Order: sequence, then C-alpha cells, then structure tokens
Amino acid sequence: MTDTATQTAADTAATSTDDGAAYDVPADATAYTCAYCGRPFARESWLALHRGLAHPNELDDAEIEAFRAAHDDEEESLSTFRLQALGALVLIYFGLLMIYALV
Amino acid sequence: MCGLGLLAATGTASAHGGSLAGGGRESLTIPTWLFLSTGGAAVGASFLLASFVTDRAFIERIHDWGRPLSGGFERILGLAGQLIGLAGLAAVFVVGFLGPTNARTNLAILLVWVGWWAGLAMTTYLVGNAWATLNPFKTLAGLLSTLDRPYPARVGSWPAVGGLLVLVWLEVVSPLADQPRLLASVVAGYAVLTLTGALVFGPDDWFAHADPVERVFRYYGRFAPIGRDEDGLRLRLPGMDLSTPRLVDGPDEVAFVVALLWVTTYDGLVTTPAWRDLTTPLVDAGVPPHLLYPVALGIGFAGFLGVYRLAVRFSRNMSDTYLSPAVLAQRFAPPLVAIAVGYHFAHYLGYFLVLAPSLAVALASPFADPATVPTVELPEWFGAVALTSVIAGHLVAIWVAHAAAYDLFPARLQAIRSQYPFIAVMVFYTMTSLWVVSQPEVALPHL
Repeated sequence: MTDTATQTAADTAATSTDDGAAYDVPADATAYTCAYCGRPFARESWLALHRGLAHPNELDDAEIEAFRAAHDDEEESLSTFRLQALGALVLIYFGLLMIYALV
Repeated sequence: MCGLGLLAATGTASAHGGSLAGGGRESLTIPTWLFLSTGGAAVGASFLLASFVTDRAFIERIHDWGRPLSGGFERILGLAGQLIGLAGLAAVFVVGFLGPTNARTNLAILLVWVGWWAGLAMTTYLVGNAWATLNPFKTLAGLLSTLDRPYPARVGSWPAVGGLLVLVWLEVVSPLADQPRLLASVVAGYAVLTLTGALVFGPDDWFAHADPVERVFRYYGRFAPIGRDEDGLRLRLPGMDLSTPRLVDGPDEVAFVVALLWVTTYDGLVTTPAWRDLTTPLVDAGVPPHLLYPVALGIGFAGFLGVYRLAVRFSRNMSDTYLSPAVLAQRFAPPLVAIAVGYHFAHYLGYFLVLAPSLAVALASPFADPATVPTVELPEWFGAVALTSVIAGHLVAIWVAHAAAYDLFPARLQAIRSQYPFIAVMVFYTMTSLWVVSQPEVALPHL
C-alpha cells in the first residue's frame, strides 16, 4: 500500500468549506491559517499537510519540505495506531471466541 | 415474517411501512446479550478494519469510480415511466374505492405496500431512483399551471421532516394496510396536499424541498449503483456516492436523514413487549393512547437528533478541528442513509417475496376476490439474510464516513479520531436495533 497525496485527493478536500461560516475558531485559540484558501488549523503540521493535499501546484520549496516532514511524522504515528487497532481486533476476536466457547 | 406478510396470511393485516418490525424476528439459539454484543462487536471491528485503509488515493479511487451510461432512449423511457406511474395511481383510487374490501386480494393495498413501498423502494437503492420519473403527483403537477410564489428559503426542508413523521405515525396507528377504502382516502388526501403545494410554489421547489416521499426516494437513490449527474446517468459503486460533499445541505436536511433512521426504529419498537410494559402504567394512569404514539414519535426523534448533534460536538473536540459543527453534521449525515437502507432491505425483502404472487394475481384481475391467494413460503434460513443486511448497511456507513473524514481532514489520524463518537453511537444503535429484531412481535398495544 502506498500513501500518496494526489491531486484528486486535494481538489475535493476543501470544496465543502469555501464559505466563511464553515469555520468556528475559539477567540483564545491559536490558528494556523492557509494562505491559499483561508482555512484555519489548530496545528502547524496539519496546515503543512493541508497545503500539500489541497494546493500541491502552488507551493514553494519550504512548504514542500514542510509537507514532506509532516507526512513522515504522520506515517510514524499511523503505524503506532495500526498496532493498537490490531491489538483491539485481536482482543475482540478472541474475547468473543472464548465467550462462545463458554456459553 | 413481517407486518403484512404473516398477518395478511392469517387475515388481520396491520400496516408497517417502517423497517424494523419483524425483519428477522425468530427465536435465537444464543443468549440475547451475546447476540447483541456480537452485532456491536462486528460494527466496532469493521471500524478498526476500515482504519487500516489509510491510502488517500485508494479511497478517492473507490469513491470516484464510475462511467457514464449513454442515454438516447431516456426520453421514451421517461414518458413510459410517467404513464406507468399515472396508471398505478389511478388503479389505487379505482380499486381502492370500488374493489374488494379484503386486504389480501385488493390491488390498491398490494400495489402500495408490496409493489411500491417494498418493491420500488428496494429497486431504488439496488438499481436507481425510478420514483423521480414514476412519481404520478409530479407528472400531474407538471400539467397544472402554477402560481409560482417563491418558496420560503427559511422553511427549507422542515415540512418534509414533519411530513415524514406524520406519514409514519399514520402508518403505524391506523389500519392503512387493512382497509382499501381508508388507504385510497389517505392517498387522495396526500394528492390534494401535494398538488396544492406544487400549485402555489411550483413543482420544482415543492418536490425538491417540501415533499417527504420524493426526498426519501432521492436519498435511497443516492445509495444505488445508477445515479444522475450533470452528464446524465452514471454507473458507480453502491453507497459510494453518499460521501459526496453537499449531498446533505443545512440542519433541516440533517434532521431529515436522522428522522429517516428514527422512524425505522420506532416502527419496530412499538410492537415489542417492552413498549407495551412501559406504556401500560401510563395508559392506566389516564394518558390517552392516541396522544401517546405521536408524543413518543416526537420525543424519540428529538432524542435521536440530540444524540447525533452531541456526537458531532464530541467529534469536533476529538479531532481538534476549526470546522464548524454544522459542516461536520452535514458531512457525516449521509452515511446514516446506508444504515436505513440496510434495515429497509432486511424488513421488506421477505415481505416482498412472500406477497409478490398475490400482487401478480391482483394485477391480472383487479376486481376478482378469490378465496385464496398464492404466497411464497420462505425457507428457515431466510432470517439470516435480514440480519446480514442490517450489518452490511452499517459496514457501508462506516466506510462512507471513513472516506468523508479523509476528505475533510488533512491528517489521517485526525480523520480516524473524528469517527470515535460516531462509531460509539453506531455500536449502541446496532445493539438496540438487533434487540428490537430479536423481540417477539406483539399487537400494537392500547389501540
């Protein structure tokens, strides 16, 4: 399985959120706002990912570098999550198996 | 097997147009709590499995797959469809008012419940939305002139939400599947209301916003492999069109989808022994039963909507996003349609198969009143089909919500996290529904 950020993924990413009422930023929160479409994010890495997914053809070198870094970080946390999810699946499966054996 | 199916065979049909009643009601060989936990676990495990698919391009490809269907024959087909729809409506009126009074042989009853609400609705999500063309009320409204008053934008789709609740209430508490005359009168009332609305506001606005039936079929049709886009008919994978942005637009349309799900539950819930036991003290204390049913319908709907909005709020916190709650509510509502489809299929496939021969006999000779009508005996294992389709509806919903979350959030873990509250609600909902399905069906109490 390859994880690629394609243009098709990007084009639809922000279509449902093109009007101002779509966002609701708390007054005291820090927001990283996309310079291309104005969508605010709570984390800088999310903004970097968003730029790469939604505006891949407009980025400068620094932004591309930021996207790559954020993407690598994301991969790492995803593999941790996959392990946890697998653990939960195994628990559910064997849990039910044992209950069925007992009942 | 279900509402009319079994009861019609014994002669006392009761209307059940919703979805849960009876779908797979049969005795279980495992304890109920284990049955419920297994269903809940299946839904939870499916979410975990879906979360392994983290390739954005792959998800996009599945949801965008499709090809156009050439449509030179479309006009002729459309005209034929309109004529069939009009003929069906005429048959409901003529045979409903003048035909045999026996629910098992009357064409109007069989045409509305077996042909239309079971059969046509099933083809709507399995093939494509033919009601958009067949709808005789729309054809008639198109022939009439219109006052063309502007449809109030503020009102939106709320009349459709109210209309759906009223229709289901009528269907549950009145013998609509029992008395052809009553059914024809209700259809006539609906026709007058619909044509008046179309006359005042124009058919396009009326059927796009206010008509509940048109909207139910439109949402069911979004599940179907054949759909309509700017370039005409298009083939796609079943259910995948539900992740499209702006399919549900505004709080009124969110409410409609939630109402669609709630009425399927309500319809089954009121025939469980638990409902009877719960309401008996209330009725004994003097609560009029005719008030009980609409009030329960309203409270349940408010409860469902409240839980959905709460899940949206939790989802917003968990994913730490600045998207407004309204955006999330609209984007994650369409997957619920897949769940409603699963329940409809669970209930009505058996119903349709049992009574389809009766419908064929009635179609051949509408005014004959034979002493016996043919029905199909369903095999033992058929209940498993119903349970499978309930679970399958949930699986499609999980996948569609997964895709919508990927579309919405830049970070993939954020997208997965946004689904936790919805999955929790869905697990609970599955267990509730399976519980209803596993309960013995009792006659509607107090009425």
